[in-house]
Amino acid sequence: MKAEAKITIVDFPEVVNIDEIRDEAPEVKTFYLSFLDPRLEAGFRIRSGQFIMCTVFGAGEFAVSLPPSPERDRLHITVRAVGKVTHALHRLRPGDKLGVRGPFGNGFPFEEIKGKNVIYVAGGIGLIPLRSSIIHVLQHREAFGRIILLYGARTSRDLLYREDIREWQKTPGFETFVAIDRAESGWDGEVGYVNTLIGKANVPVENTAAFVCGPPVMFNGVIAELLKRGMSEDDIVSTLERNMKCGYGKCQHCAIGRTLVCTDGPVYTYRQIKTLGEGI
Amino acid sequence: MSVFAVSKEVLMTVIQELGKTHELHGPRVDRASGQVFFERAGAAEDIALEAELPSMPPKELFFPQVDRLLKYRYDSAARSVELTRLGQERPKALIGLRPCDLAAIQCLDRFFLGQEYVDEVYRTHRRKSFIVTYTCNEPARQCFCVCFHTGPAAEEGFDLNVTRLASGYLLEAGSEQGRALAVGLGLRPATEEQRMEKERVVERSIALFPEKATGNKAWASRVMNRVTTGFVKPEVWEEIGKKCFECGGCSYVCPTCSCFNVEDACGAEGECERLRTWDSCSLESYTRMAGDHNPRKLVEDRRNKRFFCKLSYSQSKKYLRPGCVGCGRCVWVCPGDIGLPSVVEQVKS
Ligand SMILES: Cc1cc2nc3c(=O)[nH]c(=O)nc-3n(C[C@H](O)[C@H](O)[C@H](O)COP(=O)(O)OP(=O)(O)OC[C@H]3O[C@@H](n4cnc5c(N)ncnc54)[C@H](O)[C@@H]3O)c2cc1C
Ligand code: SF4
Ligand code: SF4
Repeated sequence: MKAEAKITIVDFPEVVNIDEIRDEAPEVKTFYLSFLDPRLEAGFRIRSGQFIMCTVFGAGEFAVSLPPSPERDRLHITVRAVGKVTHALHRLRPGDKLGVRGPFGNGFPFEEIKGKNVIYVAGGIGLIPLRSSIIHVLQHREAFGRIILLYGARTSRDLLYREDIREWQKTPGFETFVAIDRAESGWDGEVGYVNTLIGKANVPVENTAAFVCGPPVMFNGVIAELLKRGMSEDDIVSTLERNMKCGYGKCQHCAIGRTLVCTDGPVYTYRQIKTLGEGI
Repeated sequence: MSVFAVSKEVLMTVIQELGKTHELHGPRVDRASGQVFFERAGAAEDIALEAELPSMPPKELFFPQVDRLLKYRYDSAARSVELTRLGQERPKALIGLRPCDLAAIQCLDRFFLGQEYVDEVYRTHRRKSFIVTYTCNEPARQCFCVCFHTGPAAEEGFDLNVTRLASGYLLEAGSEQGRALAVGLGLRPATEEQRMEKERVVERSIALFPEKATGNKAWASRVMNRVTTGFVKPEVWEEIGKKCFECGGCSYVCPTCSCFNVEDACGAEGECERLRTWDSCSLESYTRMAGDHNPRKLVEDRRNKRFFCKLSYSQSKKYLRPGCVGCGRCVWVCPGDIGLPSVVEQVKS
């Protein structure tokens, strides 16, 4: 197979159209995008775990993960409105344009984890950066062992990609455990923090890779639980978030110790995270 | 290396010749304040070659304090946008650059043009430049280039290097474009005696540095080992952090500091410009994220970061040399007395 030249839009944004907008959860929307330039529309390739820098014209630029699978999926981003630029994005309608640079970053391991069990542990919007890898792994179901998703959110309304999850559950042997923090009427799923799901799912630790993503408290609880069960620090993988201005290793805002999250990361093993030389 | 000997008049001719194809930039002494600025010079004669180190480094020429990257206007009726890249190539000749500042430009070159991605913005500013360095006959009070092996004479990376001799100047060509200029003007090759005289000028200059700077070869490297391996007590960073006023001055005057911010500035008519501006890791906003989460909130953590950048071998890998070139500007500017040399001393003790 001929290797395709990889396209990276480094410093001059390319314009995309917003084809469709879906409400995902309160303050969270998914934007489906397509490049105006047909060459990019056909040739823009990503790896799971990479991100782009997205320009909201008139407001500015922000870093955002790429939830689509690298194979057979629509280009989209899922964004929570938290500040100036992300709120401006939420005010846009289909047909509006955005700027895109990237894709940047290393991405999640895929070939390296073939043959293993894969556990995804997500808290809240931590599911956004994991979505790509989940779908990619499910698209190659036969190459992996157990595939388990442990997902928690504050309330049932905060759960993302609910349709997707129902779709994924059709894949044989895909195990899902979803919990919300407190009981709600009409909720018949799990209740409690995500780390409690680890026991419920009776997750394997041998020959297993765990991808963990969520707010710091959840992250720490989950890591502690996985380590307690005997998982190796090299098999726990996460993606880090930092203030970023360029995405290609020059503005230095995302430096943690000796690493730059934009070019060396955003995906790190827990062992790497521990030795970055600075707190996360 | 081709080496020439020239009189003051001929040196001026060389600069004038450069001025025909390049913007001239060099040191200028401000009459009122006595301060030295590295600025655009109208003519060769305006350049004060012998003035002391300019208070601001020349990084501004390749990494402007405010750089306009691109402009656009979003047409919200047609929902379309047109983006235009700004910034153009302007050939610049930097005249009378001190060796430490040259070493800093080499750091910036390796950082912006090396690594995984090339920074096209920097490359555009840097392309077609011509660098004339000037050997320091004597150090100023704050200089410690000898500790980081950047001065008092430049060894490589210049197009031409000028050294003042007892009579006239020695001109060394360090690049093909430097040699071509000298040969084109028919400059007279230097004699062996003139070359030797330069060596003596450099030796005399080194002897003028305080013993502290020249006596102990491991002054910086021992501390660099400790900073790289994290072998510095948290109390030391706390002490250093307590003295910081969080003014950002050290980053602005440092010739190797190159952190930047990016923002879109928009006018009333909806026309926007994307600006790249200098930023400083000493400022609280530097790492702040939405929801007021700040992984580097404490000032000592932020100071720790600055000195990690200047004094760790991890960062040196990107510059292919230490991130401090020993210019001493942060000593001048820091109101908290935590310029780099005093931090080295504190980490040591
Ligand atoms: C690699 C990566 C992937 C991300 N993926 C997603 C995603 O898929 N969905 C999503 O909703 N958000 C994601 N974020 C976070 C998103 O970038 C921030 O929420 C966004 O920058 C906030 O910008 P603002 O102008 O709305 O907020 P303000 O608070 O107004 O931001 C001011 C400035 O601070 C910076 N900033 C603030 N918070 C963050 C942050 N958390 N991370 C980085 N920079 C920040 C921005 O550069 C911004 O210009 C990701 C961040 C990174 C680094
Ligand atoms: S850290 Fe201080 S002495 Fe070193 S290069 Fe920067 S300004 Fe000069
Ligand atoms: S110049 Fe001194 S006081 Fe100002 S930010 Fe730098 S270290 Fe702190």
